[in-house]
Amino acid sequence: MKLPTLRKGRRFWWDTLEAYVYLLPTLAVLGVFTFYPFVNAFRYSVYDIRTRTVPGHVVYVTVDSSAWATTLARGRIPDELADVLRKRGATPDDLWVRLRQADRWVIKDEASGQEYIIVREGEEIRVHQATTGWAMEWVGWANFTRAFRDPDFGKALLNTSVYVGTSVPTTLFLALLLATLLHRELRGKAFFRLASFLPYITPVVAITMVWAWIYDRNFGLLNYFLSTLAGWFGLQFSLINWLNDPRYVMPALVIMNVWRFTGYQALILLAGMQGIDREYYEAARVDGAGAFGVWRKITVPLLTPQIFFLLIISLIGSFKIFEEVLILLQGPGPQKSGLTVVYYVFTKAFDAGHYGLASAASVILFAIIFALSLFQLTVVQKRVHYER
Amino acid sequence: MAGHGLRVNAYLLRRGVGLVVVYALLLFVAVIMGMPLFWMITTSLKDITQALRIPPQWIPNPPQWGNYPAAWNAAPFAIYFWNSFFLAVTTTVGDVATSIPAAYVLAKMNFFGRGLLLGLLLGTLMIPGQMLLVPSFVLINRLGWYNTYWALIIPWTAGVFGIFLLRQFFKTIPDELWDSARIDGCSRLRYMFQIAVPLVRPGIATVALFKFVGSWNAFLWVIIMTDKVGLRTVPVGLRFFMMDIGTDYPRLMAAATMAIVPVLILFAFAQRQFIQGIARTGIK
Repeated sequence: MKLPTLRKGRRFWWDTLEAYVYLLPTLAVLGVFTFYPFVNAFRYSVYDIRTRTVPGHVVYVTVDSSAWATTLARGRIPDELADVLRKRGATPDDLWVRLRQADRWVIKDEASGQEYIIVREGEEIRVHQATTGWAMEWVGWANFTRAFRDPDFGKALLNTSVYVGTSVPTTLFLALLLATLLHRELRGKAFFRLASFLPYITPVVAITMVWAWIYDRNFGLLNYFLSTLAGWFGLQFSLINWLNDPRYVMPALVIMNVWRFTGYQALILLAGMQGIDREYYEAARVDGAGAFGVWRKITVPLLTPQIFFLLIISLIGSFKIFEEVLILLQGPGPQKSGLTVVYYVFTKAFDAGHYGLASAASVILFAIIFALSLFQLTVVQKRVHYER
Repeated sequence: MAGHGLRVNAYLLRRGVGLVVVYALLLFVAVIMGMPLFWMITTSLKDITQALRIPPQWIPNPPQWGNYPAAWNAAPFAIYFWNSFFLAVTTTVGDVATSIPAAYVLAKMNFFGRGLLLGLLLGTLMIPGQMLLVPSFVLINRLGWYNTYWALIIPWTAGVFGIFLLRQFFKTIPDELWDSARIDGCSRLRYMFQIAVPLVRPGIATVALFKFVGSWNAFLWVIIMTDKVGLRTVPVGLRFFMMDIGTDYPRLMAAATMAIVPVLILFAFAQRQFIQGIARTGIK
């Protein structure tokens, strides 16, 4: 729909002003928490970023510094400070020893996990709550070269590509089949639709826990089914160690997420199919096309908008796989067979504290996703439209 | 004559067989889709020896209802549920409140920079959220929001998904309605909330529902921005529960069931909105 072009008079500029007032909350939140971090992701990738503990706000300060000097000199600690210390799990004697050796002392409150910094400046003593300070140093491309030299990063890229390369087409293909099955007059259609939708809405952490149990080597459901199936055909079957055998970690991730997303994608495709004009089908029937011919020549080509939408969405989604790995494998998996790019970013940043390196890795991830999306949006999609 | 009848029968037979095959396939799919959830629930009602039986015991006998209180009491699940609920409600209210005016403006008003803004918002859909983790973590720390509810609420009170979905709904309202309201002296703000919003209620319900479920399931953001037990959401709590009790599957499955059931209940009540939301995402 095209809006009528108004002459850019006073009305237009008043409308502009009003529009931005209404847009302000959205733009403020997105600006601060999406656009600004997005720019920073690039910026941080060329810095070495380290954190250190720095004094935050003051929770205690000696009231009368001259009186303090005398109490300290006499080797006594005022009662208020002694209380503060006791609550943090340290004794006044500790403080006394420390403050003679150095000007600051960091203690940790075992109960809350909060750290405190005690600082002596001349005669005054302050207790600060500790906070995180950030030190940034420009390093140019060093983070990128480091990422590319890191065999773990290579492994993460490879694993992620294998995962995306198998799960995206498998899910889409099965979704297309499921949508085709559902696209007809059926009794109990609502039930089948609900069943296919169910996996998608289940919380990923909870459902991944369930799959960890299904994949159990000795007592899991999947091995039971497979061995029963093998038994019917009189085949030998040795139990698969899904989550501890490097060869089976990726298949386990793929199977689980194919299960999760096939129904969702099928419903989107089904909505697309229901939008196709019936005349196309009738025309094809008159021309003597069989059911499969109609499907291949009419249904699938007319679904290209939905198919491409799903391709892009699932590509972006699959490249981000992380939670599943964390819950299913409780780590990067045997021989790091489940190490994905986002897992790499996560551990580098939040376990090892290499924020710059993690940013560089996530910029690389973005570049890959961006290039693939662009490729799909321009080259592939255009070609398909021409063929139609 | 007989030959003709035979042909009709053959046609009907083929059609009948085809339909049977379709139903059989669909039933097979439904069983696969439902199996993990069924397996989760039955396991949650077994004791450990029942759970480790091969072949599996499909219906637990006798059902061990005690797994639920045992799981509930083994970790502070009351806190986890409250946090998930509180965050889901606040972010949903915030998101809907910011999305309505933004979507209305983008659907119905002509103003400077509109095209650019639409492109910019659409572009954010291409940003993988995981790329923003490190800069967001730095930002939240600098704001002094680490380990606070602010960090878990404010960044999620605006979203592009809701704006685009609502925009589609607002677009279906004819412009004449606004013209006549304006002639009657109605201000734009009043028109928006008293006339336009009631007309797009189904859209708002869909947006709210997706936001609520998404927020309920918040995990990664929460484990990065907080490390306090008191701020854990249900999924985060589940993960720590899993690390604590290891492979006590009945109790794990009881906890997983407790986490999933609220979402399933919500879904049962609002199936239509869910399906509509999904169908519309594809049309965009």
